[in-house]
Amino acid sequence: MIYNFKYLAPGTRGELHAMLADRGPAAALLSGGTDLLVNIRNGVVRPECVINVKKVKGFEGITWSAEEGLIIRAGCTINDLLRDARVRADYPLLAACAHDLASYQIRNRATVVGNVANASPCSDMAAALLCLKARAVISSSRGEREVAFPAFFKGVKKTVILPDEILERIIVPASSAGAPGDYRKLKRISGHDLAIVGVALLKQDGEIRLGISSAAPTPVYVGGLKTSDPADLVVAAALEAVHPISDVRCTREYREHMIQVYVRRLLEEVQG
Amino acid sequence: MKIKLTINGAAYEKDVAENSTLLRFLREDLGLTGTKEGCGAGECGACTVILDGRTVNACMVLAAEADGATVKTIEGEARNGKLSDIQEAFDRHHAVQCGFCSSGMVLSVRELIERNPRPSVGEIKEGLEGNFCRCTGYTQIIEAVLDVTGQIDRKGEMTHA
Repeated sequence: MIYNFKYLAPGTRGELHAMLADRGPAAALLSGGTDLLVNIRNGVVRPECVINVKKVKGFEGITWSAEEGLIIRAGCTINDLLRDARVRADYPLLAACAHDLASYQIRNRATVVGNVANASPCSDMAAALLCLKARAVISSSRGEREVAFPAFFKGVKKTVILPDEILERIIVPASSAGAPGDYRKLKRISGHDLAIVGVALLKQDGEIRLGISSAAPTPVYVGGLKTSDPADLVVAAALEAVHPISDVRCTREYREHMIQVYVRRLLEEVQG
Repeated sequence: MKIKLTINGAAYEKDVAENSTLLRFLREDLGLTGTKEGCGAGECGACTVILDGRTVNACMVLAAEADGATVKTIEGEARNGKLSDIQEAFDRHHAVQCGFCSSGMVLSVRELIERNPRPSVGEIKEGLEGNFCRCTGYTQIIEAVLDVTGQIDRKGEMTHA
């Protein structure tokens, strides 16, 4: 590491909130560290202090609630999620997106909350969480608030989280359990790359929902489509919602083309 | 800051810089240079170690985060001068060329076969997706894993369909 930062490892939620209230604007939250530590090394960010959230008591793993559904806490790694048989059975789309994220070692370390709180346009988990109508629970010493996922993202690497707050858990509603869905991610290297474009599709209660990554400044949600809608209409709605750019990975036209291809394939898979 | 951890069965209590990675701590503070630094950004897997039973890229973990943890590095594979079963299988199948990826590769295999004692070729490829070999030795590495899990004989013939 290039410069000296202060490392803090709060053991309780109260300590964490106090640290954030005290040092929030100068602090970076360390969860899996798979983005933060690389960004620090590359000089992209330069926080005065790094607050490790993984040692906070009660922030581990997932819990199930009959009323609320699946609760994913800030310390829950991608592989913690994937190792849970009930997650794989009840939320196949969530498992598909998790499975497609980076490499095995990174999935052992990277967290679901970190993948979302980073607000990268190419977040794999966001694509699933948007379709599942998941909610972010954000907390601070001032209390808690809930934000739905499309509203959570404000721009590239920007969210509604304030400097003294943390995305403490994600609630995936019980009503989405059992809904079929899948994820298609275009990459340069199979098994180990950021998405050139990613499309998640979920079918629930006669509705088709899409979550699209790497196709706009934020992950894109497309709702309000019916299972009876023809594929052309679903494709048109997807292309209307995205704003892809040409960049180092591919052109805008290629992204648009592949969104169309993936939406059609996913519709066939999930509807058929 | 002071950290306490167990590495390859031995207890350590050491002062570490708060901005030091686990990789740097292992290599430079403890002299455990079997763990390699490749990309330094979680892409190549050369720095793979087993932290509390799970493989991680040591370049993306702070040494401070390993406080209280149990770590296994490549130095913990051979015992009393004798190579481990995985190392011997790598040797038999010529799964090592330059050797730079081997430390991480062997530890990823160790973690894989502990959770999946008879992985299929597909599962081996997935288990090793975060470990790059640039001498193009993947076929031999997969054979070594099939051998150590009793799925092929030592000449590389499949013992089952």
